[in-house]
Amino acid sequence: MGSAATVLMLARESLANRRATAILTILSIAISSALLLGVERIRTETRSGFMSTVSGTDLIVGARSGDINLLLYSVFRIGSPTNNITWQSYQEIAGQPVVDWSIPISLGDSHRGFRVMGTNTDYFRYYRYKRSRMLTFAEGQAFEAVFDTVLGADVAEELGYRLGEQIVIAHGAGATSFIQHDDKPFTVVGILDRTGTPIDRTVHVGLEGIEAIHADWNEGGRAPGQSLSAEEVLELDLQPEAITAFLLGLKSRVATFGLQRKINEYPQEPLMAIIPGVTLQQLWQLIRGVEVALLAISLCVVIAGLIGMLSAILTSLGERRREMAILRAIGARPWHILALMTSEGALLAVIGVSLGIALVTGLSFLTAGWLKQRFGIFLPVQWPGPIEWLFAGLVLAAALLVSLWPAWRAYRNALADGLSVRI
Amino acid sequence: MVSAERATVEASNLVFAWPGQETVLNIDELAVAAGERVFLSGPSGSGKSTLLGLIGGVLTPRSGTLEVLGQPLHELRASDRDRLRADEIGFIFQQFNLLPFLDVVTNVSLACRFSDRRRDRALAQSSSEEAEATRLLHHLGIDSELLMRPVTQLSIGQQQRVAAARALIGSPGLLIADEPTSALDSGLRAQFIELLVAECESAGTALLFVSHDLSLRTQFDRSIRLTDINRTKGTDG
Repeated sequence: MGSAATVLMLARESLANRRATAILTILSIAISSALLLGVERIRTETRSGFMSTVSGTDLIVGARSGDINLLLYSVFRIGSPTNNITWQSYQEIAGQPVVDWSIPISLGDSHRGFRVMGTNTDYFRYYRYKRSRMLTFAEGQAFEAVFDTVLGADVAEELGYRLGEQIVIAHGAGATSFIQHDDKPFTVVGILDRTGTPIDRTVHVGLEGIEAIHADWNEGGRAPGQSLSAEEVLELDLQPEAITAFLLGLKSRVATFGLQRKINEYPQEPLMAIIPGVTLQQLWQLIRGVEVALLAISLCVVIAGLIGMLSAILTSLGERRREMAILRAIGARPWHILALMTSEGALLAVIGVSLGIALVTGLSFLTAGWLKQRFGIFLPVQWPGPIEWLFAGLVLAAALLVSLWPAWRAYRNALADGLSVRI
Repeated sequence: MVSAERATVEASNLVFAWPGQETVLNIDELAVAAGERVFLSGPSGSGKSTLLGLIGGVLTPRSGTLEVLGQPLHELRASDRDRLRADEIGFIFQQFNLLPFLDVVTNVSLACRFSDRRRDRALAQSSSEEAEATRLLHHLGIDSELLMRPVTQLSIGQQQRVAAARALIGSPGLLIADEPTSALDSGLRAQFIELLVAECESAGTALLFVSHDLSLRTQFDRSIRLTDINRTKGTDG
């Protein structure tokens, strides 16, 4: 056994002998590094999650409100729209020669907590996520009839829906709505493949479907004495009068700013067009302060953990002076003492940080579903990314650096004490 | 004067003082022959620890020469002195000789981990370091059932015998025992010294036994009073 292996063996046995302190130290390092890695993971994953949700959309158009608000409700199903756009304005803008495709969006209803989105089949043809991926069907196909619906993967899975099932849509976006469009049920005709985006949590219907369930409604409530059956509704003209927002894809990106200005100055009604990437940047600007604060807090917790380790090792030094003298007497050189103390710190840190990585991976596995349901944040369960490894490495390096101090003191003591210690 | 090849320890005009302080040790001549058993006595404060620190190579003389097993300690670098101590000197102290977190056998075999020479000599005796440790422990009267126990469960007498086994493993040229029996009952002292002397003899190890209990000196080849050879004390008094 080489002397390096001997030093490691001594460090291990010595730590095992002070098990309670060692375990507490390891736990404090594990929890603090898990917090740091967790904050970093949520930070990067929410960003890439948001980025990957809209791809290939050049402009999002809605009623004039805040940029971020429009982005959040139109694409991420967060928050609510303030106003509608007339069908006529939509037709006019979508008909511009620079426009390649358009996807209308109509929001405001829900099904058991999942948002219902009215659109048309262009949605399945043109919508892109994660750079250039198309929506694909796990089962069935796009809606055709007025009362057809296509479910996102999570909706089908969590509610246990199969093709052919009848579902009832509720008025309003809340999880429990008392007003149900129960006289006009929809039939599940398609279930989408999982995308890892808010699409998984959306119930898709045709614009005509949205129109049909509100046909006998007036001013946000069921019009008294005017109830129409599902069959009667189909006889009506189901061309919508208004939608919530629409996505535009342009033939050339060069035209983006021109069209954006044109829409913002649209004379017939107050509209607003946003470029998704630009508005996302604004969103990041907005939450950067919070991110920095969170990172700073978790860094402080890491520092506290390292100080805990330092105090545990320093406290042990006094009672271990005799051990060091014994080691010196049997031939350990001063650098062995230095290495012994440093490797104790290193062992604590390596075990602590590894446990921290396991903890954050386990926690992200356990909380992924909850985060998705509650906040629409899609945290993929995966190994730490490069930045997380870097952070873990930095915590390790800091721990090594910190443990050099008690190591140096032990080294000095060992040289001064020689072979006999009088305590 | 003992010839250089045969001497285990040979000091002449050895002077030591802590930096900025008065001389604590000034020895004209001190020699321990190979395999010799020397009893060294002196009251506390007579410079015993200083002398052992010099021979052990953790202190350096201010002037004079000090050779241990032919190596000029006064000329060697600290790392070479450490190596010489690891290879050729076994220590037994008054108390607390053992690492509390290791079992009995590992405490003994640990002395081979910092010295290739002691390991090689241990392996020349037995099939493994652990086997050699066990053999020595048996010779020193440690029962098999104690071998895997934590050393903290041993009596002080047993702990001192484990320390003796560690000092003897790998047959170093010199064993320095610094008041090893002062924590033992008088009945155990003679028995401990007997075992120690017998093992030193069979390993060919010289023994420098330090004690203030003059009644023990009868078991040694020669007895030295430090106050007689340390001129510092003489001039002070």
